[in-house]
Amino acid sequence: MNKNADLLPGTLDMLILKAVSLKPLHGYGVLLRIRQISGEALEIPQGSLYPALYRLEHQGLIAGEWGQSENNRRAKYYTLTATGRRRLREETAGWNRLAAAIASALNTTPEEI
Amino acid sequence: MLKRLRSLLRALQSRRDFEQGMSEELESHIEQYAQDLTRAGVPPQEAMRRARMEFGGLNGVQEECRAARWLHPFDELVRQTRHAARLLRKSPGFTITALLTLAVCLGANLTIFAVIDSVLLRPLPFPDAGRLVTMFNSYPKAGVERDGSSITNYYERRARIPAFSSLSLYRYGKVIAGETGSTERQQIMRVSPEFFSTLGIGPVVGRGFTEEETSVGADRVVILTDTYWKQHFNRGYNQVIGKKLRLDGVPYTVIGILPPGFRFLSSKAQLYLPFSSRPEERGPREMHSGGNSKQLIARLRPGATLSQAQTQIDAQNNLLERDDPQAKMMADAGFRTVVKPLHADYVASVRPVLLLLQAGALILLLIAAVNLANLLLIRINGRSKEIAVRQALGASRLQVLSETIVETTVLTLAGGFLGLIAGAAGIRALTIFGADRLPQGSQIAFDGRLALVAFLGAVVLGIALALPIAWFALRTEPANAIQSQARGGTASHAMQSLRHAFVVAQIALSFVLLSGTGLLALSLKHAMSVSPGFRADHVLTGQISLPGGTYRDWPSRLAFNAELLKEIGRQPGVSAVGLVNNLPLSGNNGKSAATVKGHVLRPGESARGHYAYGVDGDYFAAMGIALREGRFLTADDSRRGNRVCVVDEDFARYYWPHGDALGQRLFEGSGEASDAQAFTVVGVVGNVKQAALTDDAAQGAVYYPYALRTDDNLSVVVRAIRSPESLGLTLQRAVRQIDPQVPVNDIRSMDALVDESLAAQRSPALLTAVFSAIALLLTSIGTYGVLGYAVALRRGEIGIRMALGAQPRKIREQFLALALRLIIFGAMLGIFGAWLTGQAMRSLLFHVPPVDPPVLAWSAGCMAFVSLLACLLPSRRAARISPMETLRSLG
Repeated sequence: MNKNADLLPGTLDMLILKAVSLKPLHGYGVLLRIRQISGEALEIPQGSLYPALYRLEHQGLIAGEWGQSENNRRAKYYTLTATGRRRLREETAGWNRLAAAIASALNTTPEEI
Repeated sequence: MLKRLRSLLRALQSRRDFEQGMSEELESHIEQYAQDLTRAGVPPQEAMRRARMEFGGLNGVQEECRAARWLHPFDELVRQTRHAARLLRKSPGFTITALLTLAVCLGANLTIFAVIDSVLLRPLPFPDAGRLVTMFNSYPKAGVERDGSSITNYYERRARIPAFSSLSLYRYGKVIAGETGSTERQQIMRVSPEFFSTLGIGPVVGRGFTEEETSVGADRVVILTDTYWKQHFNRGYNQVIGKKLRLDGVPYTVIGILPPGFRFLSSKAQLYLPFSSRPEERGPREMHSGGNSKQLIARLRPGATLSQAQTQIDAQNNLLERDDPQAKMMADAGFRTVVKPLHADYVASVRPVLLLLQAGALILLLIAAVNLANLLLIRINGRSKEIAVRQALGASRLQVLSETIVETTVLTLAGGFLGLIAGAAGIRALTIFGADRLPQGSQIAFDGRLALVAFLGAVVLGIALALPIAWFALRTEPANAIQSQARGGTASHAMQSLRHAFVVAQIALSFVLLSGTGLLALSLKHAMSVSPGFRADHVLTGQISLPGGTYRDWPSRLAFNAELLKEIGRQPGVSAVGLVNNLPLSGNNGKSAATVKGHVLRPGESARGHYAYGVDGDYFAAMGIALREGRFLTADDSRRGNRVCVVDEDFARYYWPHGDALGQRLFEGSGEASDAQAFTVVGVVGNVKQAALTDDAAQGAVYYPYALRTDDNLSVVVRAIRSPESLGLTLQRAVRQIDPQVPVNDIRSMDALVDESLAAQRSPALLTAVFSAIALLLTSIGTYGVLGYAVALRRGEIGIRMALGAQPRKIREQFLALALRLIIFGAMLGIFGAWLTGQAMRSLLFHVPPVDPPVLAWSAGCMAFVSLLACLLPSRRAARISPMETLRSLG
């Protein structure tokens, strides 16, 4: 089986918010960070990262600002806004509920019915 | 949502920055990825290629990013706008016609709207002005619809009408202001202490009036307007407070200065004085001595309504009737106090005219829109193939629709911009029509509101124009359009019907405008032919203000009058000179009661209000008023204080229908008094139009000797042998010779006064005439365009028919018949519209029925002439089509 899990629809935004919440990041950094914090399990399609970033910025969940990158180049750094932080909290809670529900459903044995 | 809009706006604002930033960001991503790959051992060239490949199509990603920012529709809009502009540039004839049409018609609408906006729509310039009301006493059965309010009314109602939070009394007046040698006449207002708090704007420095200052003798205080302060005091606000200002020769103390721009309605007052009165003037006996000079205003308490105020006033009037010595007579006269919103009451007289003009301008705009729709329809037909091809290639219906809307909106927006310029010019030209004399007319200005209205109007018009075109473009099957175009066949039947319907609509609308103009013009003509009851030619008038200080008592005033009559009568070129307190057509239309001795009131009849004049010298000869019976009043009557009077024919006919007026006796005021107070009628003179030439009310008038009709107003009337204007200087010199401190104002010929009094009829008639002329022009353009197009479309058919032997005359007649059919349909609809318009205009018409057959016939004739003229050219062109050429081109 492939060691990379496919991204569930709707989870990309959540992951980006999470990545950015840890530390301000530029686009490529977001990609690397998600890969890192998912234990190299999640691979984000590079083409869909930027539309998602622009959408989140448009919605005011993250804020982009131009700054200096580690190798001294101009880069756009994204940070989480207050609204973004609230959204992340909500989505995390929602996700945990869902995951727990699914896990509980999948772990059900015939005896428990 | 707000955040998204802000983000969108930012992106639009710095579009270039956005694009640059995006490219940079994406590029640097790819580079970093490539570097990481290189570090992992991939050769640099290969790394870059792989990085690009794994990233996916750069263009696609960029598009998605733009879409995430909602930039897409705007990109599309910009593209379509460019396309539309290109298309419009390609047909300059059409574009210029359309733009000029729009500029003129939108300009006309904006001009009228600017007037309506400042006069009718904007609140009066006071805080929460919607709560301000006015009230007046009405005695309809005595022929006095409106009579102001009395001092008694004010003291009775003040603080006793719960619906009012504040109530105030005011009256207009004049004083001679300044030190000896440098005096000038000033308009003033006398106001009760609450006046400024009722309005909600008070002095910026100093204070308002106090209760103590309403007693005669304690009222020597004055509040200045900002303008007066600036013009007359060369020092700071606070240094002026406490200074003395000489008014009518008496020193007044300055106690306050009003903020800049303060103005109460149309008042030209520069000085405000307290409204002082004596205790006896406040009693029940004076309850009905209102007169038009004293007016009440009030502010409704928050939450209180107009009808509550009305009910409370009615209740109080009923209660007061018990103490009212004149209650019975007033009830007979139909006495009632009417409460009205101040703003509505202030503009009531001009409201119908303004609405009529706006309706006229809107009809004009509608004609223009129909015209444009027709021209656009003709134009789109030539492009239906292009549209069909694009649809076949995958353009969606929405795209076609939005392209059409963008194209027409670009056109109307450009037209709207030109219309704004035209409107600005129109607003300047408005003074010609006397707009600055309208209530709040000085506020008429070109501003952002107007620009906004122009913008919205242009957008709505653009969308409206696009709809029929888009409908046609989308309704034709692309395949059909391509084929029919290829065969050069005829246009769809429905499209032709629509074009013809548009022409009919245009003709009908123009007809409505024409007939409306006809009605107004006829009214003006009738008004102009009304005899004012005096001979206005060769008469010069001027207003004289006697300073109250020097001329406090009547003997001194009468001595001045005698001196003045003698001095002016001596001047060469003067044939007669008289004095009067109330000049006809001067805007002073107050009525007062007169009681005829022995006249027994019939049931339901009440004492009546009449115009009352005090005259001195040869007033009747100077004005050229006709003598019907007996004799005129003379300077001698005034000098000796003879208790005689002259009445006009209306008065005589009302009280003595059998023609025995001479020798009868009457009393000033309501109610009979002792015989010693009676005036004997010594003459009957012709009726004079006091309020307006169009005032048909048989009000009746009484002329008293000036000495016995006490009044502050004094006008001098001079009949000249040659041009009256040449006597202006003579008049001033004569007055100065008697007393250099007495100013003469408003020196005008009676002709000018008559002329001005017709402004209310003339200006709308002129404006609608201009509208009609434009409408006729537009309609002829529209008819010409459609007919011309019909001929062009049927070239082939006509050519074949001519080749088969059809007479050119027949062809011409065929097209003329079509035109005639359209005109007749249009006129029929137009007559219906004209009937409706006539009904709506009823209140503006003078001696003209709302449906006037000659006016209708005239309009129809005008319309038919212009439309047929417009059809003649295309019809003749049709008849001249050469069969050979046509057949060859059809080949």
